[in-house]
Amino acid sequence: MKQRDEIVVLTDAVLITCIVQRGVADAVVDAATEAGAQGATIFYARGTGVRQKHLGVLGITVNAEKEVIYIVAPSDHADHIFERVYVAAKLDTPGMGMIYMALLEKMATYVPPEVAARFGRHD
Amino acid sequence: MTDTVSQRRLRYGEFLSAVRVKQRRVSYKDVHADAGSRPRTRSLRLVDVHRLLTPYVSVRFLEQLRAVVPLALFLALFQIAALRADVQEGELITFGMLAVMLGLMLFMDGVKYGLMPFSENIGFNLPNRTTPAVVLGFAFLLGGIATFAEPAIGALRAAGSGVDPLRAPWLHLLLTRYPDRLVLAVGIGVGLAVVVGMLRYFFAWRMKTLVIATLLPCLALTVYAGLDPRLAPIIGLAWDCGAITTGPVTVPLVLALGIGVAAAAGQEDNPLAGFGIVTLASLFPAFAVMLVGIGLVAEVPDPALLPPIVGAGDTAAWWDQTPVAELIAALRAIAPLVLLLWLAQRFLVGEAVKQHNIIAYGVVVAVLGMALFNLGLSIGLIPLGNQAGATVPAAFSAADGAALYSYPVGIGVALLFAIILGYGATVAEPALNAMGVTVENLTDGAFPKQLLIQAVAVGVALGIALGVAKIIFDWSMLPLLLGGYILALVGTLWSSEEYVALAWDSAGVTTGPVTVPLVLALGLGLGQAVGAAEGFGILAMASFGPIVSVLLVGVWIRRRTEIAAQRES
Repeated sequence: MKQRDEIVVLTDAVLITCIVQRGVADAVVDAATEAGAQGATIFYARGTGVRQKHLGVLGITVNAEKEVIYIVAPSDHADHIFERVYVAAKLDTPGMGMIYMALLEKMATYVPPEVAARFGRHD
Repeated sequence: MTDTVSQRRLRYGEFLSAVRVKQRRVSYKDVHADAGSRPRTRSLRLVDVHRLLTPYVSVRFLEQLRAVVPLALFLALFQIAALRADVQEGELITFGMLAVMLGLMLFMDGVKYGLMPFSENIGFNLPNRTTPAVVLGFAFLLGGIATFAEPAIGALRAAGSGVDPLRAPWLHLLLTRYPDRLVLAVGIGVGLAVVVGMLRYFFAWRMKTLVIATLLPCLALTVYAGLDPRLAPIIGLAWDCGAITTGPVTVPLVLALGIGVAAAAGQEDNPLAGFGIVTLASLFPAFAVMLVGIGLVAEVPDPALLPPIVGAGDTAAWWDQTPVAELIAALRAIAPLVLLLWLAQRFLVGEAVKQHNIIAYGVVVAVLGMALFNLGLSIGLIPLGNQAGATVPAAFSAADGAALYSYPVGIGVALLFAIILGYGATVAEPALNAMGVTVENLTDGAFPKQLLIQAVAVGVALGIALGVAKIIFDWSMLPLLLGGYILALVGTLWSSEEYVALAWDSAGVTTGPVTVPLVLALGLGLGQAVGAAEGFGILAMASFGPIVSVLLVGVWIRRRTEIAAQRES
């Protein structure tokens, strides 16, 4: 059944990237999982933006240490996840971070053989 | 269920679009162009302020909560359960503790934003832009002035009332009439220590040599002072001062400068570059305070003949009353430090100060925090420590009626109290945890973090127990100090360089701004209750305890690796 020279490539995938302050990623991942995301990857990073500088003294409350969360989602779920994450990360407050999503050309990962078989082979 | 429930039809799509957050598409090009042209008047919603501030504040407050509450609870519970005495003025003490936590939180944040940016910048740039002499002069001033800003130093000023003026007249004189002289001596001591620490970077002196060269004169002076009955009570205070000085202001400021100098001297690769200054900063002040004591004895032959302090007993002026007095004291402590750093930045480094508002925020918050901390110190920490100290003797002595326990058991309870207090306060110290991580990395895991923490905690616990025993039995300070430090000296000669630096620094790290006043007040309360001449010395014992214990563990680790190596070969 399984062939070594075959990769199952998935299409219609969307990459959601969310940048938040250090320590907030867990809340973001929880919200995304609840909204149907199957996994998330967290990076540590640092960086600041223009909103943070314009907060004045309140700007010190914004940590320059950031967490970047990658979520790959199917394109018809992506909007829902996007919204939930936006709300969970409280991105409507200045300095809290940002979120963006982009269409992926293709992705590949482990796909159970019986699932791959069910969708047939497009050669 | 045959009752008809009225049905209303709703299209699922309509429901979804009502529940969902609406999205409106705006081109980023437009927003970007707009943001540049418009003047920035941004009004934050209240919820935004809450979202920004609450996590920031709560993390910092919890940090202090973890340091203060277990210690305070232990003192209170021990007093209630083992000594069967109520905590008096509980509400006031609770309020004071709250002020201590809030004050420390604000103060640490203020130091981080108001002082550290200066210090890092100066430490990095100063060695390249001026001569070594200027760097050393600046280091001296920085060390001295930072001492004034140390939160725990306020506890010293408050300690004078706990000393018996008849049995330790010169000590009483020093604390009540000349506290400024005392603080000045400590400041000069720390300043000199920082200078010697910097010289160490330039000349690559070994820590071992330096420790021995500093310790021997200190011990000699201690012997001289200890043999003079007029000076003997001052030794305890002098060695305690060493533990008080190395706190959350001096250490990071001086380290930032030290790292810059070490880099300029071409030693940035030395992993132990950061160590050493803390050690010196706890030995030099002891020396300086003893010198002040000797000078005082020569100056005032008979303290009993001095007229009483003018103005004592008058009604306090408005600037001596509670909120204003603390604010002024805090300003006096922090303003010189800020001024020094600003001048150095402006004229020695020659750079304008960036981010004025953040630095202004830092300074204001540091002053407020220090004022709050001082307030909490005088109504919370010191009374609590004092009460605990004063009630401990009830365990074994029968001052009013029967003692709670038989004499040996009572002494045991008192010592157990001291051991738990020392151990618990040390294990909870965040600075020690950070040091443990550094040490584990430096020794490639040969000295695990937990081992260091345990070694230091046991050392502090035994040291505090020894100090409590000293006060209870009214032992003389000299043999204890001499014995402890000779033991430390022998261990130093016997150990390798890195363990020497480690052991001597671990003593300075353990004494944080909450532990110091608490233990100081405890000793003074205890001293008064058992009728000892003075209650100093616990902190001094708690300083050499970890030195000895860490050195011993270091020797043990070396023996173990040697034996393991022999077996393999």
